[in-house]
Amino acid sequence: MEVRKKLKRIISLFGIAAKMDLAWLLRDTKFALAAIASDMISNISVISSVYLIAIRFGGIGGMSVDEVMFMMAYSTIVTGLFIMFGSGNNIHISRIIGRGQLEHLFMQPNSLKLQLITCGFVPFTGNGNLLTGCVLLLISINRLQLKVTPWWIALLIVNLVATMVIIVARAYIVSSAAFYAPVAAEEISTTAIDGTWQLSTFPLSGMPAFIQIPLLTILPEGLMAWFPSLCLLGRPPLNLTEFYPLAYALILALTASFIFRKGLNYYVTKGSNRYVPYGFRR
Amino acid sequence: MFHTDFAVSFKNVTKTFTQWQRDNTGKGLIKNLIKPEKLTITALDDVTFTIRKGEFVAYAGPNGAGKSTTMKLLSGMLLPDSGNISVLSMSPQKQRTKLMQRLGILFGNRTELWWDHPIIQSFEWKKVVWGIPDEMYRRNLEMVTELLDIGKLLKTFARELSLGQRMKADLAMMLLHSPEVILLDEPTLGLDVVAKRQMIDFLKKINKENGVTIIVTSHDMDDLEEMAERILMISGGKIAFDGSFDDLRSITGNLTRVAVTMEHGFSPQIDNGRLLSSDNGVFEYDIDLAKTPVTVLLNQLSQVNGVRDVEIKKAPIEQVIAGLYKAWDSCDTASHMAQSIS
Repeated sequence: MEVRKKLKRIISLFGIAAKMDLAWLLRDTKFALAAIASDMISNISVISSVYLIAIRFGGIGGMSVDEVMFMMAYSTIVTGLFIMFGSGNNIHISRIIGRGQLEHLFMQPNSLKLQLITCGFVPFTGNGNLLTGCVLLLISINRLQLKVTPWWIALLIVNLVATMVIIVARAYIVSSAAFYAPVAAEEISTTAIDGTWQLSTFPLSGMPAFIQIPLLTILPEGLMAWFPSLCLLGRPPLNLTEFYPLAYALILALTASFIFRKGLNYYVTKGSNRYVPYGFRR
Repeated sequence: MFHTDFAVSFKNVTKTFTQWQRDNTGKGLIKNLIKPEKLTITALDDVTFTIRKGEFVAYAGPNGAGKSTTMKLLSGMLLPDSGNISVLSMSPQKQRTKLMQRLGILFGNRTELWWDHPIIQSFEWKKVVWGIPDEMYRRNLEMVTELLDIGKLLKTFARELSLGQRMKADLAMMLLHSPEVILLDEPTLGLDVVAKRQMIDFLKKINKENGVTIIVTSHDMDDLEEMAERILMISGGKIAFDGSFDDLRSITGNLTRVAVTMEHGFSPQIDNGRLLSSDNGVFEYDIDLAKTPVTVLLNQLSQVNGVRDVEIKKAPIEQVIAGLYKAWDSCDTASHMAQSIS
């Protein structure tokens, strides 16, 4: 009964976020469409550059042109999910913390976790990249003649979830700095994620291990698209299991939870002298 | 165990903050790298008070006295260093989500409205997030729309509202879930006379008719006296006074500021009045209306040639608190002298 109630609550919160998004799309359609188009153009231009290199050289580091396309599709879907679920600064949380806006969240009769999961959901204005990614995925599956079984679909979902968890966990780990230095670390999440995003779209196949390993451990850009794509193509790199991204995501999520809680405790103990209304309640 | 009659209970609450101290000299910068200097600020020092259900309490104090800290502690946004806090028999720190269903908070310098949406959209968002039942939402929406006269604003975007309109919309939104206790932090900040009047009347009405407990902070004594029956004065992290406005006046006198605008630029003589400043023909006096009643004052001014305007307002909080300390000092001296004589 309690679970059902909670589920209903989550759905209603996602629902109101979707309704607000649709209202904005229908009210300011021209601007909303311009925003969607610019998101798509920006992402397509990033993946196009890699794809054009693959065409020019007949593949990259042992990956065929179509496999590179598959990887670009995966990367675009991840970008699409990021935009669709993280448009309320709930992933770039250093902005909320650094601007002293967490107090708005404390006023709501919902747990912080529930609010953060649901508040950035924009299924209408934020679906451009997700749809583009799905189209690219279908084209590449067709060109690669991949066998799509229920197990493969499950593996795709697990990998996408793991990639998203890694993105969110990494953002929350670096964002925790904003608890201690709100002004200096306000944009740290954007710097950490966007600053290395282009690296995540580059196929690491054929690179030496001393480049691949750090990019699968210290700076997990290889887990954003390259590693999961190869797992889905049936050949996980470096003799690692196809569940490596999931295991990595789990460890990172636990670390993020510990560090973020510590920061949050600091915040409610010391308070924040800073408040900037910018960017809140769009 | 908390007393159920109390809307708010603050027991021996202490809250300190640390401030980093830096100077701009080369030596200071190096010292900061090796051993940074910290200053501990006691925002609340062993503060105890209770507020009964249905009370309208003014929580006053000068800037930096600890007013907003108290509000944040009451709403679970901050943790106290020590002491117990209870709001509606719940701990704001441990039962925050449950408490927020019954508590309303409004910070004058912040908005909960969605900037790029019409007001009614923000209200509907609140209905879902707070899980407000349809009937309660409809009833409260009707009430706030009528009492705050915001019918015409409902379809307007929050970003297009004036400050007064925005405050009214924020206040209306805060009341949609029928909160039993309302915390208002500087709600009249920046409002014009008409907007202020409307807000004060509305707050008094919901306090009287719906029995809503209201705690309001401000450093404007006029507004506070207009609204509340009881005043809690805080200064230097301690409760300096807790009682009615009449009791406060009996200690400090009826401290008032009178601004007289003169046509010819010379200062009028006012009995018991102390000239504080003169600027462009406006003369400001300190006067105790307990000693010089307002009728006597106006009578005096009516006999002075060239008076263009007279404005009477309450003395600022800093002066009232100074008056309190002065009164206590003289009490201490008197009792000390009495002890010496005996």
